[in-house]
Amino acid sequence: MVFPTIEFAAFFAVVFVVSWLLQPRPSAWRPFILAASYFFYGWVDWRWVLLLAASSVVNTFASQVIARSPSAAMRKRALIGAIVFDLGLLCVFKYLGFFVTQMDDALDSIGLGSPLPLVQIVLPIGISFFTFQAISYVVDVYRGETRAASLVDVAILQAFFPHIVAGPIVRANELLPQLRTPRDPREVLAGPAIFLIVGGLVKKTVIADELARRIVDPVYSEPSAHSGAEVLLAFYGFAAQIYCDFSGYTDMAIGLALLLGYQLPQNFNRPYLALSLQDFWRRWHMTLSRWLRDYLYIPLGGNRKGRARTYRNIMITMLLGGLWHGASWTFALWGGIHGTALSAERFARERYPGFRLPVWVAWLVTFHVVCVAWVFFRAPDLHTAFSVLGGLGLGGASPLVTLPLVFLVIVAVAIQALPREWWRDAEAWLVARPVAVQGIAVGAVIVAADAAVGQQGVAPFIYYQF
Amino acid sequence: MEPSTEKKLTMPAGRVLGVMLIALAIAALFNSEALVRAGEGMKPGTTRDIVLSVGRPLDDVAGAIGFHLPRKGLDLAFGQEPKTAAGTELERGSNAILRQNRKKDVRQSFVQPTRARPLRVLVTGDSQAEFLGQRLIDQAPSGLLDVTTVARNGTGLTNPAFFNWEINARQEVATRDLDAVVMAIGDNDGFNVQTPDGSLYDPGDPGWETEFARRVAVVSSVLASGDRRPVYWVPPPTARDPEFNRIYRIQNRAVERATRAVPALRYVDVYSTLSRGRYSDELRIDGKHVLARQSDGIHFTREGAVAPARLILDAMAEDFPALRRR
Repeated sequence: MVFPTIEFAAFFAVVFVVSWLLQPRPSAWRPFILAASYFFYGWVDWRWVLLLAASSVVNTFASQVIARSPSAAMRKRALIGAIVFDLGLLCVFKYLGFFVTQMDDALDSIGLGSPLPLVQIVLPIGISFFTFQAISYVVDVYRGETRAASLVDVAILQAFFPHIVAGPIVRANELLPQLRTPRDPREVLAGPAIFLIVGGLVKKTVIADELARRIVDPVYSEPSAHSGAEVLLAFYGFAAQIYCDFSGYTDMAIGLALLLGYQLPQNFNRPYLALSLQDFWRRWHMTLSRWLRDYLYIPLGGNRKGRARTYRNIMITMLLGGLWHGASWTFALWGGIHGTALSAERFARERYPGFRLPVWVAWLVTFHVVCVAWVFFRAPDLHTAFSVLGGLGLGGASPLVTLPLVFLVIVAVAIQALPREWWRDAEAWLVARPVAVQGIAVGAVIVAADAAVGQQGVAPFIYYQF
Repeated sequence: MEPSTEKKLTMPAGRVLGVMLIALAIAALFNSEALVRAGEGMKPGTTRDIVLSVGRPLDDVAGAIGFHLPRKGLDLAFGQEPKTAAGTELERGSNAILRQNRKKDVRQSFVQPTRARPLRVLVTGDSQAEFLGQRLIDQAPSGLLDVTTVARNGTGLTNPAFFNWEINARQEVATRDLDAVVMAIGDNDGFNVQTPDGSLYDPGDPGWETEFARRVAVVSSVLASGDRRPVYWVPPPTARDPEFNRIYRIQNRAVERATRAVPALRYVDVYSTLSRGRYSDELRIDGKHVLARQSDGIHFTREGAVAPARLILDAMAEDFPALRRR
């Protein structure tokens, strides 16, 4: 089920009412919200629910063994077993096809033909997200950072419908304590929730989908057929599109959870205002960044084992972060660009500790490194990525470059610079209005967003494929 | 989230429900046409029945009191053209189109492309059109094609109440200066069809094939603007699901039938050509083993789309010899 659809609107209206009615009775609320989440997740293919439930069962079992076993070796075995299972799921569904294709090509290139049957596997939506959540949960239990939870709680942690498909990646100690405390129906954080949902909808439909349809998709499908100005607009356009698409989704997810009384972690903090790559990764897809830091970079040794190991760890973390998005050389290169830039930044900081770039130069350099990396993220293959980069300087007529599109790109970056206080004032203002005024205002935005989308409907969120 | 504690940002759940219900009611009333269209585009089933049973009466009421106007203004502001209308040939025309314009034996001649003046081609249709358009450029002799790809996902000929391809074709030929059109469509056409006389036919009924052929003739005639440009019609390839194949075979026959009525219409047979008419996830292209189909068993992958793109190019080369592959 996709958020901005009729089906989801009906689903959420029912879940909202029943969820609040059941809040005083957690024993009834938990099975209900789990069933609702499974219904949401299984809307396209119910078999995926079995996979998700199996993941919850295995990880609950492992966490219970870790929590109860007096033997350190047994605890470690349970941890490793759970991680192998989780990564195994990810490998089979996400990477096996790529691996077999690469092997087949390699064997073919040395004259052994193509002996391997190519594998066609349906990728369950959200598998990367719920798998990472599962790993973080068992590791946290092993580290003693969270208590082992019941099967139902672990299942809700993984399947809670606002975040199951594309995050934020929630840690156990962020959601489980909330599940244990009944929410107060008199204090729903409606102001931020309404702004997040409506704002996310506008970002997705008015900015992201418009940019995709009118400039980004046409240019990336055939860069050589477009002028330098069109390629340049698509270059910046995708940066704007992916921000509005992904942050629009997570805004809606966080807003929906807030309406049910639950707070999910922030996932974006004005990323295009970053003044360094390190700063960028503290602002972009923050829940993935901290996952990679806590469960990969630090266990690899972080920056504690010398300079060379630090750079190696940064590169491994970013390369794997790239490959988390999918098995392709373009994602590996995207991660590689970020890893190299982060390493270069670190080197410069250590070598010239007193040196500071002027703020505008730092912003300009950071933003453009991010934009160049996005080219590899968006392009279907390396050839297309290099064609886009090579096409930036070409001339020619540019019928696709229009003022409204340039304006949308600027808006996507500029909205991040608006003072937070303005948003808070607007939220407080809205909450103080009568119910009818609020309803009419929200309804009017939905009508406008639907008109912006037009008859082609809302495009799938970019992060649904991960 | 770090909600401020200084300002009142909370409301009771009951008030939130009130806001939600009013917002949904406003959206449904002012978007009633879009609601009905969305319902028309859904697969047959309970959800579609519910959406249409709520949406249609709501749309009648909203239309009667002028609630369509704000949405029409917004559509205009966002540059959205209407894709449905009553009384089009697609819905109301007669089978006479299949009998008139019997195809002449002599092939028409068209202005040949050069690098200075490449052939302007529109590749359109349903989602299958996306990769075909991309791959057509790769496979053509360099600089001879200027391709625009417009994929209308989820559309077909059997449901003009959701998306009317005749209207869309008129808009396309009016706004673009085209030398040829490639139309790849049919993946979403497993539904029953209603003929202009009100008869309802399921796929498999002889009447369905005739009605589908008529609709192909109507749309291709518009795309061809008489005989001004050739239209290369690409019905679906074999699918993994045998039930789809049953319908796709009928569609392929219907398109072939329509070519006998519309002189500029060319049938590109992907169905029986690739893998000799048998479904396969894999294809061997240029000696290389590639995964040619997506996991749904219908759509081509980007790599696999090379094979049908070459078939289209071969068909185009009959009219434009400069496009012949070397």
